[in-house]
Amino acid sequence: MASSRIPPVTLSLKQFLQRQKVLGLYRSMLRTIRQVPNEQDRKYLRDWAREEFKRNKGATEQDAIRMMVTQANMHLQDLQKSLALARS
Amino acid sequence: MLNLGVMASRVLVRYVRSLARPSARLCPVNVTVRAAAAPLPLNQRSFSLLSCSQRTRQTDQTRVPGSLVQLSRQYGDLPPLTLESIKDRVMYVLKLYDKVNPETILVTSHFIKDLGLDSLDQVEIIMAMEDEFGFEIPDSEAEKLMTPDEIVQYIADKKDVYE
Repeated sequence: MASSRIPPVTLSLKQFLQRQKVLGLYRSMLRTIRQVPNEQDRKYLRDWAREEFKRNKGATEQDAIRMMVTQANMHLQDLQKSLALARS
Repeated sequence: MLNLGVMASRVLVRYVRSLARPSARLCPVNVTVRAAAAPLPLNQRSFSLLSCSQRTRQTDQTRVPGSLVQLSRQYGDLPPLTLESIKDRVMYVLKLYDKVNPETILVTSHFIKDLGLDSLDQVEIIMAMEDEFGFEIPDSEAEKLMTPDEIVQYIADKKDVYE
């Protein structure tokens, strides 16, 4: 069972950490989107996040990935801020 | 304080005696005795009142939690989870997921190896499970759940469901 978790192409430590970061980001993105009150908005945002992550899942260049992670973080913060404003 | 108590008890004794033999005492004496004795019964009464109210408060306090327990029991009444029902719900959620072919999925099939999903899909599946069962799965646990069977086992562990 332990061997099944290793992806077919073995990653270096740096790549592995980046992968974890991206997955964590995706998770927190979905968690944040889950709090959106409107059903349609929620679906739209979920599809949007999914699309973006899927579109760039083949990226291998580390700098490019880092930039995308930064961008995603900014989007996430924006979303959290507007959600907090909408709730207050 | 002690002297006062002794005096008061003496007065009380005299008062009781006078009550026992009312005809032997003159009226004025009776009046003075009654005036002197009056504070003691009053004090006693107020004290007993206080202790009474304390007692009732105590019984109230002991009674309230019991009723609360009963109420919360009634409100929190969900049909009990069994391994079978967890499995059914997990498979139901998976079959609703658009990238999974409902015919090919088995309890033991690996999301990435057998079903051809990627790690992002796996994250989505775990999130869907969180929605279905209403609790959060921490990241470190979430990335280890790779088959429906493991998810069922994990949820059963979390919800204290055993065979």
